[in-house]
Amino acid sequence: MATVVIENLVKSYADKNGPGTTVVHGINLEIKAREFMVLVGPSGCGKSTTLRMIAGLEEISGGQVSIGGRVVNDVLPKDRDIAMVFQNYALYPHMSVYENMAFGLKLRKIPKAEIDSRVREAAAMLGLENYLDRRPKALSGGQRQRVAVGRAIVRKPKVFLFDEPLSNLDAKMRVSTRAEISKLHRRLGATMIYVTHDQVEAMTMGDRICVMKDGRIMQVAEPMELYNNPANLFVAGFIGSPPMNFLHGKIQRETERYVFVENNSSGQPVKIPLNEKLSAKVSARIDQPVILGIRPENVRNAIHGSAMTNLRIEVAEPMGAETFLYLSSGAHSVTARVQPDQRFELGQDLAVMFDLDHAHLFDPATEQAL
Amino acid sequence: MIFFVLAGYFLWVVYPMLWVAYSSLKPDDAIFRNAFALPSMDALQWKNYQQAWREAHFGEYFLNSVLVTSVSVASILALGSTTAYALSRFYHPLGNVLYGLFLAGLMIPVQLSIVPLFFELRSIGLLNSKLGLILVYTANGLPFAIFILAGFFRALPRSLYEAAVVDGCSETSAFWRVMLPLARPGLITVAIFQFIGIWKEYFFAFMFTSGAREESVRTLPLGLGNLSVAAQYHTDYGMLFAGIVMVTLPILIVYLLLQKHLVKGITDGALKG
Repeated sequence: MATVVIENLVKSYADKNGPGTTVVHGINLEIKAREFMVLVGPSGCGKSTTLRMIAGLEEISGGQVSIGGRVVNDVLPKDRDIAMVFQNYALYPHMSVYENMAFGLKLRKIPKAEIDSRVREAAAMLGLENYLDRRPKALSGGQRQRVAVGRAIVRKPKVFLFDEPLSNLDAKMRVSTRAEISKLHRRLGATMIYVTHDQVEAMTMGDRICVMKDGRIMQVAEPMELYNNPANLFVAGFIGSPPMNFLHGKIQRETERYVFVENNSSGQPVKIPLNEKLSAKVSARIDQPVILGIRPENVRNAIHGSAMTNLRIEVAEPMGAETFLYLSSGAHSVTARVQPDQRFELGQDLAVMFDLDHAHLFDPATEQAL
Repeated sequence: MIFFVLAGYFLWVVYPMLWVAYSSLKPDDAIFRNAFALPSMDALQWKNYQQAWREAHFGEYFLNSVLVTSVSVASILALGSTTAYALSRFYHPLGNVLYGLFLAGLMIPVQLSIVPLFFELRSIGLLNSKLGLILVYTANGLPFAIFILAGFFRALPRSLYEAAVVDGCSETSAFWRVMLPLARPGLITVAIFQFIGIWKEYFFAFMFTSGAREESVRTLPLGLGNLSVAAQYHTDYGMLFAGIVMVTLPILIVYLLLQKHLVKGITDGALKG
């Protein structure tokens, strides 16, 4: 098991005429031994490119990657002691499941008996014993995915790399396979780097999550830390579903307290008196613009005169266990996650309160959390 | 309706072959008496084949044809697959130009190249030799092979190559063990087309080997042509038919053996398997 250290990693492509395109801008990241690190971000954020540079499938334009203390910039993929699971599985169509799994071992001249025992062990672990003679074409998507994982396991590599391995599965398969990969990680105790664009996968699987955008790392943290204390606007909006609500406005001082006043030219602006914790952050920002971020579950229908404002109900989505309300202040739409036991009339005003203990403030210019 | 159309077409195609086949078992006078009658079962002229094989040197021609065709097809496959792979998998500034040049080879009528080729072969001393013929066939077959195989290699997902490289393949073993086997339908398509084309090729063979005095370099089509031309005053039709059967049969056999792959190969390339 090995640590993977990425230092000032850069990837740029040469343009025919021009300065070229840089897709990864000098990122730094340390993945500890036995850690499950998830790289997450929207498409085009450079997460797959980063993974492929770790694998050696993509040339490194700058900086360095080391695996287990050895700089591997100029080491061939086959000599990096890694295994990779591809998005489309990349199983060899002309080989049986057994041969697919044994292929890497055969190339490494491992004795036949050893190959056989490793393949059968992995097959048993993944429930593939009955399919060893089949060709990939005769397998379902979930089974193919497991063969791809099995092909990686038998190699006993230092580092496992996953490139969006679940995105070709249907929703149900995705949930169960997600859990299986997590279990596998615990069982093998291997270092794993997992790329996905799905923040749910990232939250549920990762020991730590690295959120990327436009070739830069936005934040690296444990899942709940990321959720509770996003470092910037991007992470706040990316992690969590439905996403965090953002209200653009400014800070005003009213007698003894600070108040957040929404920018709203068309109607009555929402005014939210800030609590102590938030007040401390904005004391120097009177009359300056800020963004108030609040998660849907922290927007509640008010009881006993705790109402802070009234918002119009535009859409109600009953999900069974909870109901999502899409509310509007005229200038902003706000999503609320509420108990399903109440009937909501569309078009009516709802008295709501914001749980400010879980609210966040961001600087609109730098997009960083205050 | 469709049935009758197809049945008619079947007869149209198959009857001439059958006619040649059974006529090859008739003596000459029987052919002239009634050209379309079946041979009498008690007088089957197997000796036509014997004669063709021995006296008309078809045995030698046959071996020459086998040698020239198999070496040419093998060379086309070896050179074509590696070239197509390199052109489709690796980026090179001149890659597309090179590919275009190969494709241009498909568009030049062979008749145009015959004179320069003749002088070329003469100057390097390969006129009237099997090696010269093999070289010409190979060069002539490459554009088609590269056209078909490049399509196949392009259609293979890049991640298969990447998986192979991560699994432990070198560039060469990724080609041999993963990419080439996956292009098999394309290889078979190329092999069949080239086999048929070269096996029955007359024009090049006539131009480049008919100067040879002895039979040792002639291929079957040339031998067959000579048989009908040389015997100006008396044509042994029975023997001629036997010769035709000997030329046609291998093509039929190869085609029947591989036709399943051929259809797959053609559609795979088109549909991006």
